[in-house]
Amino acid sequence: MRGWMLAGVRRSPGPLIGTVVASAAAAALTVAALSVAIADTSAPAGRLAGASVVVAGDTSLHVTVGHGDDARQSLPLPAYRGLSAGLAGQLARVPGVAAATGESGFPGGVVRPGDVDLVAVTAKPGVSPGVLAGRIRAALSSAGHGGRGYTIATGPARGDVADLTAAVERSDGQVLGAALIPPIVTISLFVLAATTGLAVSLRRRRFALLRTVGATRGQVRRAILAELAVCGVAGGALGWLPGVALGGLGVHALAAHQMLPADSAAWRSPWLLLVACGVSVIVAVLSGQIAARRAGRTSPAQALRETVAEGTWPSPVRILLGLGAAGGAGTLMAFTFGQKSAAGQLALALPLLLTCMVAVALLGPVLVAFAAWLARPARAVGGPSARLALAAISAQPRRTASAVIPVALAVALVGSVYFADASIAHATAAQAGSTVTADRVISGPGLDAGALRQVRALPGVRAAAGVAPVSVAATDPDLEPVYGEAVSDGPLNRVLDLGVTSGRLGALRPGQIAVSALEAAPGAMGVHVGSRLTVYLPDGTPYRATVSALYTRSLASGDVLIPASAVDGHTGAAPGFAQVLVSGGTAGGLAALAAGHPGWHVASRSVANAAAERAAAQDGFANNLILGLVAALAAVALVNTLAVATVERRRALRLLGRVGASRGQVAAAFGWHALFVTVTGLVAGAAAGAVTLVAVTKAATGSWVPFIPLAPAAGLVLGVGALVAGAVMIPFYAMSRREPALAAG
Amino acid sequence: MLTATADTVEQSPVSAVHAPVELTDVTKRYGRRRRGVPALDRVSLSFGAGSFTAVLGVSGSGKSTLLQCAAGLERPSAGTVRLCGTDLAGLSQRRQAVLRRQRVGFVFQDLNLLPELTVEENIALPLRLDHRRAGRADIELAAARVGLGGGQLRRRPAELSGGQQQRVAIARALITRPEVIFADEPTGALDPHTAVGVLRLLREAADGTTVVIVTHDPQVTRFCDRAVFLHDGRVDRVLPDPEPAVVARVLHELGERS
Repeated sequence: MRGWMLAGVRRSPGPLIGTVVASAAAAALTVAALSVAIADTSAPAGRLAGASVVVAGDTSLHVTVGHGDDARQSLPLPAYRGLSAGLAGQLARVPGVAAATGESGFPGGVVRPGDVDLVAVTAKPGVSPGVLAGRIRAALSSAGHGGRGYTIATGPARGDVADLTAAVERSDGQVLGAALIPPIVTISLFVLAATTGLAVSLRRRRFALLRTVGATRGQVRRAILAELAVCGVAGGALGWLPGVALGGLGVHALAAHQMLPADSAAWRSPWLLLVACGVSVIVAVLSGQIAARRAGRTSPAQALRETVAEGTWPSPVRILLGLGAAGGAGTLMAFTFGQKSAAGQLALALPLLLTCMVAVALLGPVLVAFAAWLARPARAVGGPSARLALAAISAQPRRTASAVIPVALAVALVGSVYFADASIAHATAAQAGSTVTADRVISGPGLDAGALRQVRALPGVRAAAGVAPVSVAATDPDLEPVYGEAVSDGPLNRVLDLGVTSGRLGALRPGQIAVSALEAAPGAMGVHVGSRLTVYLPDGTPYRATVSALYTRSLASGDVLIPASAVDGHTGAAPGFAQVLVSGGTAGGLAALAAGHPGWHVASRSVANAAAERAAAQDGFANNLILGLVAALAAVALVNTLAVATVERRRALRLLGRVGASRGQVAAAFGWHALFVTVTGLVAGAAAGAVTLVAVTKAATGSWVPFIPLAPAAGLVLGVGALVAGAVMIPFYAMSRREPALAAG
Repeated sequence: MLTATADTVEQSPVSAVHAPVELTDVTKRYGRRRRGVPALDRVSLSFGAGSFTAVLGVSGSGKSTLLQCAAGLERPSAGTVRLCGTDLAGLSQRRQAVLRRQRVGFVFQDLNLLPELTVEENIALPLRLDHRRAGRADIELAAARVGLGGGQLRRRPAELSGGQQQRVAIARALITRPEVIFADEPTGALDPHTAVGVLRLLREAADGTTVVIVTHDPQVTRFCDRAVFLHDGRVDRVLPDPEPAVVARVLHELGERS
């Protein structure tokens, strides 16, 4: 590496500190997400610790979806398939087996008489578990059980058989961790592009001089990229340990929210240092491509001139690209709203947000010039300081834009993620309130078919139905868990108003299924009333049914309704309801009945949405996690860029002092500047984020109107304002203290 | 033999026929002001080998533009610039950069030195950019020629006085033994006494090199063989062996006219 290239980093790293900080943040977040994605999630073997080999019915569901390489899809099952008790005796005869015992009573275990959850096998001394597992596999397939799958586990894999929820939770948490990495990297690129762009543009004089004394464009470009690579390495090294710590916290939090097995541990390895450096180098170098190219391409004379007054207007290419991005965002928006399925709309949300952000970033200088034009009346109100601030802004819209853009991006990102979540939660609550039409709801243990009969027999009861949350697997079109309710045969339409759009939902008989409109849409399950549909119950048993009704109010009650009689015995729990919904009857009658059953609780209209609540809680937590990361990155970028931009105005500060401006006047000018940046950034960011917010709200709730609660909105505005004010005014006061020329007052 | 002949054919006319810097009918207009007064209007000038020329004019006369066009930092709107015998219009940006670092030196008013590099690194910069080794002895020699001692070589530009900084810039311009040195207001930021010292140094150190100095300071012409006056983008007059007093008078006249 040539000394001249990197002298800037070594000896005057000031303008590059922002790049180091931002790439450290990117590295830390990536390391954290990765250490969650490949966390050690092996569950403890618990009761099976003494067993050499554990045999259970296949704990995963395998379904062939369509054709092609990815056609065979798998999903961990939440309940045991069950084994016949006789299998233990059979396995006891396998050579090397000391004992084989059928075991039951695990969570998610079978409740059919004569069946066991699994068989625990102990080996004779000298027989390794691996060898024994091989013999058992051979014995099972030769005995004609080849058609039915088995899970044969040894070592740490026994834990997954002892606790089926571990596999389900693991896939939730790890998928989330892995899914977070691409957005983190993309957003980091945005954040860094603004920071590096500013860092490079501030040092144009230097690059111009290099060009004059004979550096080629390529040499200048490579010098900048080499600097960024060094910043990336530094950022990676700085971000590594915080990332490891954050990953540990993340795993802990996910485990607390049942999205990872309880004893999971984040992946800790020295390799993470390499990952951290790799990611931050790549992000830093990629983010600097545009800036480096621009610095290299500028002719030296032009760059020397621009040192006096930097290019006031963005290049036509930038404006064209910006208009192109805006047009692309419009097209994408039309395409998103045109999507029939909610999943399709949600999948397009992130690209839509990113395109809008690109458009805002590229058109930033134009927006700033326009905003400065709009802000002219402020000159009359704000006096000479406002006049000064506006003049500086209009003279250099490009430099002001580099401060406005991170504000806008922060608002767009945080706003759209937070308010989309809030809108969905709001719509869920609203639907839940109007879904239940029953007068009273009984909840508690032992709510089975007999209890339901007792309730129906009470005087004055017009209708009663039981509901229980259930999670099935379905192809929509990929094999995925679908949350819904198992319902009794009662007259559902007299206790629930699910907004049936087609078919009838009086009673759901075995062989029938009701599906939410969102899930039934083409692109998801693609079914209508009368369609044949197969879903897989928790223990993997297929339930083949005819769609009898479609309904719209699915946020609270889930996406499928299945007759309880079809589900009983396949959920890994005793048959029963979570809630019994009652129309009519008297409070006294119900209370008397409840008094005979400890644990029963009679409430007025509430909702049987335990499953939806769990899913919503998970979504809420995941969203908060994403939101936290996004907000952290955005805040780093914002403070970074603004602080660097403010320090760069030292010369203006000094000049103002020399011509007799008082400290107060200059402070006011900087304050007006900060206000302009905040307001312009808020408006541009709100516009960019609103497009995505509306798209997500429409997809998830069916409504065009997002729910924007006042307090968080005000919090976002105040938070952004405080960050901008701090990032501008703190450096200002630090600088002004060292400028004796500034008159007091 | 054939190869040798080819080489001779390529090289000899360069030094034999052409002056190191030749401008023919050079016109330069900036940006959108295509209809307005051009910064340079059909200027033809030749700077002979070893000549030491001052280009003078009031602000806005086009003298800096002349230097930038002549040095290939700026592409003329019309006309031909030949630098070191090569038509710049026929060179790619890359080849122009290589030409600059191998055969041209620059001294500016300020913005001369990279603040993060030491004095010796600044001096060696054109060699490093050219992937050449910068020998310790060469650098020390170049520094000694402009009166910089060993103790100053490891300092940073910010630790030096203005006059010392300009000496470093001259040493950097000379390190490649260039054919041409362009200087844009090299004494503009210096007091008169230091300015004279720096110019004398440039004159002595650049002996045999073609030097073009853009300036508005009549005192600079004390060291020059020739003074070229620009006015409104055109060559107004050329004075051989200029006297500072005469130059000052001409500049005053030009100032009155505009």
